[in-house]
Amino acid sequence: MTITRRGFSAALGAGIAMPAVWRSASAQGATIKIGMVLPVTGPAADSGRYALIGAKLAIEQVNKAGGILGKQIELITEDDQTTNPGAVLAFSKLASQSDIVAFLGSIRSTQNHAMAPDILKTAKPVMFGGTDPALTHMGNQWLFRCRPNDSYSGRVLADFGMKTLGKKNWAIVHSTDAFGTAGGKALSEAITKGGGTIAIDQGYANQSQDFTPVVLAVKQSGADILGSYFTFENDLGIFARQLRQLGVNIPYVGSPSIVNVVATKLAGPALYNTYGVADYAEESSDASKAFGKAYRDVAKAAPDNQASWTYDAITILAKAMNSAKTTEPKAVRDAILAIKGHPGAEGEYNFDQNGDGLHGYNVVKNEKGNIVFDKHIEFTD
Amino acid sequence: MDIALQLLFTGIGIGAVYALVALGFVLIFRATNVVNFAQGEFSMVAAFLMVVCAVDLELPYWLSFLIALGGMALLGMIFNLGVYYPLRHRSFLPVIISTIGASIFLANATLALYGPQPQVLPGWFETPGIQVGPVYLDSQYLLIIAVTIVLVAFQYWFFEHTLIGKKLQATSQDKEMASLLGIPVARMIMITFIYSALIGGIAGILVAPVLFVSIQMGSSIALKAFAATIIGGFGDVAGAIIGGLALGIIETFGAAYISVPYKDGFAFLVLVLFLIFRPQGIFGERVAEKA
Repeated sequence: MTITRRGFSAALGAGIAMPAVWRSASAQGATIKIGMVLPVTGPAADSGRYALIGAKLAIEQVNKAGGILGKQIELITEDDQTTNPGAVLAFSKLASQSDIVAFLGSIRSTQNHAMAPDILKTAKPVMFGGTDPALTHMGNQWLFRCRPNDSYSGRVLADFGMKTLGKKNWAIVHSTDAFGTAGGKALSEAITKGGGTIAIDQGYANQSQDFTPVVLAVKQSGADILGSYFTFENDLGIFARQLRQLGVNIPYVGSPSIVNVVATKLAGPALYNTYGVADYAEESSDASKAFGKAYRDVAKAAPDNQASWTYDAITILAKAMNSAKTTEPKAVRDAILAIKGHPGAEGEYNFDQNGDGLHGYNVVKNEKGNIVFDKHIEFTD
Repeated sequence: MDIALQLLFTGIGIGAVYALVALGFVLIFRATNVVNFAQGEFSMVAAFLMVVCAVDLELPYWLSFLIALGGMALLGMIFNLGVYYPLRHRSFLPVIISTIGASIFLANATLALYGPQPQVLPGWFETPGIQVGPVYLDSQYLLIIAVTIVLVAFQYWFFEHTLIGKKLQATSQDKEMASLLGIPVARMIMITFIYSALIGGIAGILVAPVLFVSIQMGSSIALKAFAATIIGGFGDVAGAIIGGLALGIIETFGAAYISVPYKDGFAFLVLVLFLIFRPQGIFGERVAEKA
């Protein structure tokens, strides 16, 4: 075989052009890529593992049902190291990949706040699980929440404590991060509005090794009920144990972390007979039960909100893109906001114009380590 | 008054933990003139070894404790050979960076082997604590305080009344002179690393039932212990103990009477004040250089 000059030039040209053609073909995509920021290292690494299982479970189900626009979903993950700078770095790494069409942010409000400016610049939908109400009220149109926000949790905690348990004089203990501060404020406002009083409002810094001063302050305050917003399970475990050791046995209602799997395991009997608001409660609906069963089969562990919100985030994105018939960000945004009556693991999604999908909470009780569904409280205002 | 007593007990308990980890810092600093930033990870690794033996394998607690200590002795040996020994003739900076690298490696290796989930390690005693008048005494904190006292007494006897202790002291004071006197310097440094890994491990095992066993448990304690060594006077054993206890008490009282969210702030405020007004610490001597 002889190589002509023309043949050589054609082969050389094709060789040079091939990578670009290949890249272009890849960008158009055999798959629909979704980016996910999650903690793989750091104090919340454990919850990151659950979040990943939830997302993968949804992807498997969506892909089995035909995927998005006939293509399979591919999940691209980045470690946020459980820190704000880590979350910003992880998101910018994902955002630099132009073929990622949407993202899953963090369950931690403080990290979503840190990423928010980059999310605004990227201008693609980001589903998230943080519950600080401000996140959907600060003019960032690309943030969509897959859990109820803390204005609802505060109202449900206050409502349950005052009307069901009949207690009026509150001690509030909350983390001083974005989640804890917003939650504590929402609870405080709801108590005051409902006619209750605040005996003590005590913040603490995350990753404390000792809560004796906090527990003693609660004990001295004369409060007849305790409400809390804890960010990390370790902190909650230490606090709950010291609470019982130092003889504080007033009724205790807490934010969702009080009923998550890790916290109940760490605290053990110290959290028995406490109540919590839970966005995910297995017995609350048929969709929640179905998710719980599928999750148990895969994870061999009890399901909680760490996995349910990522599961819902993927199914909502798939539903929105299939209904918009495109992955173009603006059209997907409109399709998400148009979702009404979607049965998710967390509850029924009815997106409002702020990007909040859920508007109520379940009340659950820790009965000797088992989380038992009590009731669901939904708000329309 | 009742509250102050309760706070004092808790402050001493948490301070004893800082003191134990600080002891490890001091011993290695005296022997090698470098700060071992993996000292906190020694505590974490020992706590995980206890979980594996006592919880996963359901071995008796005392046997698990001995196995964990054996593991820590081995880790101290490997640490010396892999992290310090190859760099022993270099300045302090590469060695410090090497210990930081080892700290990251130990944390991530444990994460990869055991997973990120925090674990519960039962305490030594069935009874969680006892009520003495108005004060609740957590049995684990009582044990931590008792062990700290025993270890300090042991350390005094070991360094002041045994030949090997005196050889270790000679090595830490002047390696060249010790070598000229026939003291096997490399072996003495090896013993120091093993001993400080054991002390760090004991601290981790003791504190695990209180703070739970997690990848981060070592680093959060080590930071305070490091501050304690500076406050006490770097390189001074009594200083590490006093510094640790002082830090525990200051942050507990500061949190109770001034502000809970700034609890860590009080500890580091004291550290900054010492660095400004008494950089040699409580027991340290001012080092003057000739012009």
